[in-house]
Amino acid sequence: MIWGAWLCLVSPLAAAALITLGGNRLSRRGAGYLATFATFVAFVGAVISFATLLSHDGGDRSHVSTAWTWIGAGSYHSGFSILVDPLSVMMMLIVSGVGSLIVGYSIGYMDGDDEERRYFAYMALFVFSMLLLVQGGNLVLLLAGWGMVGLSSYLLIGFWHERPSAVAAAKKAFVMNAIGDATMALALFLLIQKTGSLDFGDVFARQGFLGGWAINLIALGLLGGAVAKSAQLPLQTWLPDAMEGPTPVSALIHAATMVTAGVYLIVRTHPIFEQAPKIEDLAAGLGAATLLMAGLIALVQTDIKRVIAYSTMSQIGYMFLGAGLGAYANGMFHLMTHAFFKALLFMAAGIVIHALAGEQDIRKMGGLGKLMPFTRWCFLIGSLALVGIFPFAGFFSKDSILAAAMDRGWYGYVLWAAGLAGTLLTGLYTFRMYFVVFGGDRSAFVREHFHHGEGHGEGPFSMTATVAILAALALVGGWIQWAPLWHPVTTWLDPVARPIVEPANWMEWTSSGVALALGLVGILLARAFYGVPVRRRRPVPRVAAVQRALEHKLYFDEAYDLAFYRPAVAVAHALGRFLERPLILRTSGEVAEGSVDVARGFSRLQTGLVRTYALAIASSLAVIAVVFVAVR
Amino acid sequence: MALAMLGPEVSWYLGVAAFLFATGAFGVLIRRSPLIVLLSLEIMLNGGNLALIAFSRHYGHGDGQIFAISVMAVAASEVVVGLGLIVAMSRKRIALDVDKLNVLRG
Repeated sequence: MIWGAWLCLVSPLAAAALITLGGNRLSRRGAGYLATFATFVAFVGAVISFATLLSHDGGDRSHVSTAWTWIGAGSYHSGFSILVDPLSVMMMLIVSGVGSLIVGYSIGYMDGDDEERRYFAYMALFVFSMLLLVQGGNLVLLLAGWGMVGLSSYLLIGFWHERPSAVAAAKKAFVMNAIGDATMALALFLLIQKTGSLDFGDVFARQGFLGGWAINLIALGLLGGAVAKSAQLPLQTWLPDAMEGPTPVSALIHAATMVTAGVYLIVRTHPIFEQAPKIEDLAAGLGAATLLMAGLIALVQTDIKRVIAYSTMSQIGYMFLGAGLGAYANGMFHLMTHAFFKALLFMAAGIVIHALAGEQDIRKMGGLGKLMPFTRWCFLIGSLALVGIFPFAGFFSKDSILAAAMDRGWYGYVLWAAGLAGTLLTGLYTFRMYFVVFGGDRSAFVREHFHHGEGHGEGPFSMTATVAILAALALVGGWIQWAPLWHPVTTWLDPVARPIVEPANWMEWTSSGVALALGLVGILLARAFYGVPVRRRRPVPRVAAVQRALEHKLYFDEAYDLAFYRPAVAVAHALGRFLERPLILRTSGEVAEGSVDVARGFSRLQTGLVRTYALAIASSLAVIAVVFVAVR
Repeated sequence: MALAMLGPEVSWYLGVAAFLFATGAFGVLIRRSPLIVLLSLEIMLNGGNLALIAFSRHYGHGDGQIFAISVMAVAASEVVVGLGLIVAMSRKRIALDVDKLNVLRG
């Protein structure tokens, strides 16, 4: 039934509109309940679509429903249509399912904020935009959703608009994403020119006629969009700053759903990428480079949310690696498990931040394990899933991406090694954070600021319940697919995205074994340095220059500042000095005076006497008549 | 066509129409009293009407007559507005002289 998908799409939009139009008539709490309810209805719609698809055969699982023709220009048409197929249904389930949990969590987290209603309206708008992105039946709608998630992300990062840093971060995210949107739009223009359509089916059917350079450019443009949205090298700098938004926003937009849209895009348009193998390799390489870089930077970050943000970047690197190698189902499966455990980590971190009156610096934390046992266990589950320890979710999904790399020649082995190194780093930085925050003795800051809220000091029911559900998902969510033994996700996605690599079972087992061992080594190393009371901690071996470079996030911000911002400012100053002041400011006054004089002269023509006007009209008509007759 | 044969040529009618129109226009341009200006306007309109009807007859076609009737309806409404304005002016004791109404002078 296609109406399930429409219900899924429309209900968050309706909630956003109701909250916006309702204004004060809706209580703050009511806005939260309404948004949660609407996203949950969306989830129900997604489940209905899922059940419907299950009842069809494998070959008959792609349905398009068009509401109306949205754009018609000459021979080009695109409808407002949604596509329901295994891939979009999987994304719908993730977005609306994790989304409704996180929106529900926000009821507790945002309680007492001045502008709760605005927050929930934005959240509902985001869920709608993301669903539009994944359900869009053609590339135009995908781009529309793409732009709208960028907008919602901008609005939510800058939600606390009285903080200058939040506003700056929002602008940065928007500008970086605009670069990706632009390259993507250019790719779509090229597609329209070459194939005359943007419907997925038509494009994929006709792209065989494209020349080599055109297909490469199109794939590159799409990759640009994916890289910007998913915060991969070289457009990654906006994501850590985006942590200025409220924590549930980070969990939903900057961990679970929006930033993974790039992976979805690659998987969705994989026939194009398969025609451009060089670009595909580039995507995989960028993913590998990003996962290493983000893992290294995460080692030295001190803000709890930033550490998790860098780990998000790194995990999306794995997904890009998988999608770029052609292991689409593995990438999508990692996207799903990552949504579970990363949302869990962010929300558990949110409980910590909530209990410490907004403090995010892990150096000030310590010994929280005994004060917040529930949060500690949930965070531990999330961390183990992130590192990929058996039997938590990350183990099943990450390792099969690595196995896919082994099936791709020497280039694959380079990527494989990078991915394994990333696993070691993941274990290190994740458990550094875990031990510093929850282990050891209570720090002075914790003793002073830890406040026992209602209940057991770990936040209201809406927060603990949703975190518990996600912890359960992070615990069992990975068992859906264990690549060497059973693989329903791959089978499910097969009609849409057939993998082009098929790792043998020995590759799966080897990757799993090595990755598990390296993850454990990382955890043990972290434990050796940070798992002991603060007084007895040994100094961590460090190289000053490397540490400084990592703390400056490898100077990407500084480089972009130097390469783009400073020249732009210099050009603006020069134009102001040599063009604006002498040419425009000095002359504009004289131009104004001159025109006033001329106007004064012309105003004499206005006698105020009706008969002059009538005479003017009559004589002009007479002249026109004479001319007309004479010319004829 | 048979109708066109009876009576004078269409140019005669047009001549009278042009004369009426010119008379009206002249009146509008030189007279000061708003009442007379309105009256002259009516003469102009009726000059136009005459031309319409003359052509209608010349071509044996009813359209011009219908059009003339519409013009009369418009003229009637226009007179109502115009006379209303003049009454309002005299009530406010504004001199009935169009030359004195020159607020819009630049």
